[in-house]
Amino acid sequence: MKSIRRALKMYRIFAAQELKRMMEYKADFVIGIIGFLLAQVSNLAFLWLIFRQVPDLMGWSINEIVFIYGFSLIPKGIDHLLFDNLWAIGHFIVRKGEFDKYLTRPINTLFHVMVEKFQTEALGELIVGIGLISVTLPQLNVQWYALKIILGIIVIPFAALIYTDVKIATASVAFWAKRSGSVIYMFYMVSDFAKYPATIYNRVVKGIITYIIPFAFTAYFPAVYILRDENPIYCIGMTVVISLALLALGVFVWHKGTRAYESAGS
Amino acid sequence: MKRRLKTYLPFVNAGMQEVATYRVNWIFYMIGNTLTCIVSYFIWKAVYASNGGGSVSGFDMPQMIAYLVLVYLTNTMIASDASYVIGEEVRDGAISMRMLKPVSYNATFLFQEIGNKLFTEFIIAVPLIIAVEIISAVLSGAVQFNILRLLLFLVSVATAYLINFFLNISFGFVAFATKNLWGVNLVKNTIIGFLSGAIIPLSFLPDPLEQVFLLLPFASLNYTPVMIYMGKYTGLTLLYYLGMQIFWMIAFWALSKLLWKVVSRHLSVQGG
Repeated sequence: MKSIRRALKMYRIFAAQELKRMMEYKADFVIGIIGFLLAQVSNLAFLWLIFRQVPDLMGWSINEIVFIYGFSLIPKGIDHLLFDNLWAIGHFIVRKGEFDKYLTRPINTLFHVMVEKFQTEALGELIVGIGLISVTLPQLNVQWYALKIILGIIVIPFAALIYTDVKIATASVAFWAKRSGSVIYMFYMVSDFAKYPATIYNRVVKGIITYIIPFAFTAYFPAVYILRDENPIYCIGMTVVISLALLALGVFVWHKGTRAYESAGS
Repeated sequence: MKRRLKTYLPFVNAGMQEVATYRVNWIFYMIGNTLTCIVSYFIWKAVYASNGGGSVSGFDMPQMIAYLVLVYLTNTMIASDASYVIGEEVRDGAISMRMLKPVSYNATFLFQEIGNKLFTEFIIAVPLIIAVEIISAVLSGAVQFNILRLLLFLVSVATAYLINFFLNISFGFVAFATKNLWGVNLVKNTIIGFLSGAIIPLSFLPDPLEQVFLLLPFASLNYTPVMIYMGKYTGLTLLYYLGMQIFWMIAFWALSKLLWKVVSRHLSVQGG
């Protein structure tokens, strides 16, 4: 309990520091958000142009597809907002020997790396995600009851955790290979599949995003529970189980990695 | 001419060595980019399944697959890092080292990047072109390959690369004013991606919009080469769009020269 309180206190200090930095570069902050907003607008325009040609996509209406798309942006945005610094481990922190800094401090290295930065550009994703859900939900015929609302909210941090887990495990590769930006990128890009209903893919792709790099649990499975009342024990329960199991794996690899870490030569 | 070649060949060489050093990284990045392409493939498959297999906006299913692969190929071939590199060099002062040398500033970039690409393009282009031909032949039941179209495509891609290069140089000279290079480049790439037809063929757009997009320089970057390879542009149309590419190439070359004049006069490097 005490350690959690300490971690939260540390987090507040880091966050305050980041906010000061952000205020210093307001224009950059706005440009970043515009960039992410535009990227989403481009994807939505793509969907809109497609739905001018067909009434539905393999049984999914445009509202359902846009809902899943919007839902997928929320966990992705949360992870992006809070734990983006993991990319820096893969890009340069390990290679330049800057990881020494974290080793000398009396905080858990992973915790320190994760909370050190905010990536405010992610607000672009979050704004669009929440916007799309609010626009599509009233038009969808969804049965609402207390349990569904609770589960729908609970599942979001766990879905975000799946992104973080994948980044922790792949960033750790840098401790052995010096850099791992490309490895993180390769695995992270698999999340592109999560933006659309998993039923449009063939069995191989569906298997990969369900069992191997389980991004299907970040949006599709929670969304089919919300939209079509499919088995909540699987759709929501598995999201929680998988995100925690992957976290354990990520933390394990990370700590193995920090032991293998050798600083830069100079 | 010979002296010029001697001056710039080392830059080509340096570019090639850069790539050789980071080969594994490059492969992983390529796999990552291919995933986006695979997602699009499944979406289009779903579109044609929901549509009963007919043609949509002038594209049938085999053509759409060919389009996806060709757009991906063209995108890789015309890719240019220039705006990012210039921004970084201005920021950290490395640009002053380049300015000291008795060579053209833009040309050093160009040749370094060509060196970078020679190796990668060959690795990608050959198998992808073969793949497109095999897929089209199997799905449509007839061999589509046409050597003249391939040659015209290569000319068109080379022009597109130069347009993109000069566009990026120009952009780089302006963009370093902000500290968020990554952000402005995201904005630029998103806009170009959509307007160049890399996300969806421009023929899917409502008609007036399509006409406007075809006049913009971005269509010259990706849509034109791909349409040429697919045999959708022939005769006078083909000449018209090739001419348009050359026009935009010259326009952006002139713009980059002009901006370079302005920037090099006002450049103050921090802590170089």
